[in-house]
Amino acid sequence: MSNIYQPDLMTIKKVINETPDTKTFHLIFQDEELQENFEFVTGQFGEYSCFGAGESTFCIASSPTRKGYIECCFRKTGKVTNALFDLSEGDTIGFRGPFGNTFPIEEWEGKNVIFVGGGIALPPLRSVIWNLLDLRDKYKDISIVYGARSVADLVYKHEIAEWEERDDVNMVKTVDPGGETDDWDGHVGFVPHVLENEFKPDPENTIVVVCGPPIMIKFTFEALERLGFKQDQLITTLENRMKCGLGKCGRCNIGSTYVCIDGPVFKAAEIDLLPPEY
Amino acid sequence: MRTATLQKSDLDRVIDLLSQADYRVIAPQNQPRLEGPDSIDVATFQEVQPGDSHNIGEGLSTTGIKPFLFPKDEPLFAYENRGKKVVLTEVSLDFPKTVILGVRPCDVASVSSLDAVFSDKNAGFNDELFTKRLEKTTFVSYSCTEPDVSCFCTSVGLAPDSDKGSDLHMTELPDGTLHVEVKTEAGEKIAAVIDSLLSGEGDAVARQQAGVVAAEKITRLRDSASLLPWLQDLNNFGDEMWQRLGEKCLGCGACTFECPTCHCFDIVDENSGNKGYRVKFWDSCQFDHFTLHASGHNTRNSQFERYRNRFNCKFKIYEDVFGEKGCVGCGRCIRGCPVNLDITEYMAEVAQKATTSAS
Repeated sequence: MSNIYQPDLMTIKKVINETPDTKTFHLIFQDEELQENFEFVTGQFGEYSCFGAGESTFCIASSPTRKGYIECCFRKTGKVTNALFDLSEGDTIGFRGPFGNTFPIEEWEGKNVIFVGGGIALPPLRSVIWNLLDLRDKYKDISIVYGARSVADLVYKHEIAEWEERDDVNMVKTVDPGGETDDWDGHVGFVPHVLENEFKPDPENTIVVVCGPPIMIKFTFEALERLGFKQDQLITTLENRMKCGLGKCGRCNIGSTYVCIDGPVFKAAEIDLLPPEY
Repeated sequence: MRTATLQKSDLDRVIDLLSQADYRVIAPQNQPRLEGPDSIDVATFQEVQPGDSHNIGEGLSTTGIKPFLFPKDEPLFAYENRGKKVVLTEVSLDFPKTVILGVRPCDVASVSSLDAVFSDKNAGFNDELFTKRLEKTTFVSYSCTEPDVSCFCTSVGLAPDSDKGSDLHMTELPDGTLHVEVKTEAGEKIAAVIDSLLSGEGDAVARQQAGVVAAEKITRLRDSASLLPWLQDLNNFGDEMWQRLGEKCLGCGACTFECPTCHCFDIVDENSGNKGYRVKFWDSCQFDHFTLHASGHNTRNSQFERYRNRFNCKFKIYEDVFGEKGCVGCGRCIRGCPVNLDITEYMAEVAQKATTSAS
């Protein structure tokens, strides 16, 4: 393909309704050779399109260890995500990617890894969670601290249940105060608060990967620093608005850093060197 | 490479010969801005045919040559929704052999800046809509002898007679003849086409002198060397200057559309029934929705932040990321601003702050 803006076509093989406004698409390429050879690394993202509505940027939410398909998860918010939301199994979408940098999972081997996510930010973590779980022997304790506004807003409920069942995963789930239901068996409280005061992780030999809105990242990093974590133990992703994903359209930059090329994965020390435009 | 003399009155013949040699010729042309008797003529770059009027070497064009390499809107591909299937049709990347005639030194210098963004020099992604146009384009530049009050090319390492990016460069001498300098192989081809109009070896001394005289007419002189280190110091990102100077900005985006190096674009689907085009078109970092997240969070939420981004893009981001100049000093952002926001005022203030903090 010579045109960097022309997507490859994918078929929606399966639609999973995650929440009333969030869906997962299970996708395969229509071109057999591409379907055979497509590769990506956890942390990367794509440009997904509904022809007639436009393109939107989401992470690849499946793990590269699960071959033969990719998944994305999105909330209907604007024009493109509303149009995608209305598509059904068998329909065609466009995909450009994979783009961006990757989670440095080799650097984490032999360490404890804690994933901290809020709301619709579980999908990028879900890719790397399954990646690590599929290479389980290489990592020590794996913990997931995930919260949403309400029980209804939790995505991947079936997988949260699966992680709770496993004895090699610590699953800590929470909803914001007021978002709980009568039969809710998780925590009630904001993610950074639950992390700091209920889960209280030990910084020794531990990496923390945080995904969420900018305000959550800020409070979570502050909480982790109070627990004794150092900057080089903290990793996050930034999600600035993008169009091209190729470092050209000029939209996602934070000063001289392009989230689409230099990100979306950043270490806390790298974030500290950025102007506050994320 | 070869130098020669060309008579200015032979520029019409240059257009004839280049057209005969199957070049599409783009040149500055005066056209009425409005309909009716009150209209004034403005110069813009247009495709010209033999016999058409032009104003090569006269005045400055209101808009530059950017649309001929990076059109303000262009289809990326066509799509057709057929039930559950979609059919995509590629656009042609076969662009016409083109010569841009009479391009000013600031504008031709901007081409390498755009190339650094759109070509595979940038992260390995080659936007062939740009690079294949560029491959087919030859630049015949023309020194400025009458820069205007908004020009500041000499503040950004260029000059009214710079030949950076040029294939064949012309300088008008006081006697009305043009000193012609062939700079590249593509320029050689142009020289071969117009060979019958070229004579002698030109007058290198007079050409040099014309450049000196023109540069002296530029009154707006700013120090740009001290900008980069000051902008690279993260502590200065929150300087009070940004808000004070940026408050004036309306966010209309005129500066970005007239700027030869501004490259921001949007991608949208232009839909009609079950088919349409995905289109890339000029966008502006000065618009409030440009960085608006789906969540409602906006990373550059106020206008001064958007202006600060543009200034940083010109004097820091372009250099950090693309290794090229982000500003060629053409002055269009000053001329085109409806509230007289003057980028050189920022340059002067930053330079002053940089000097103060260094001492």
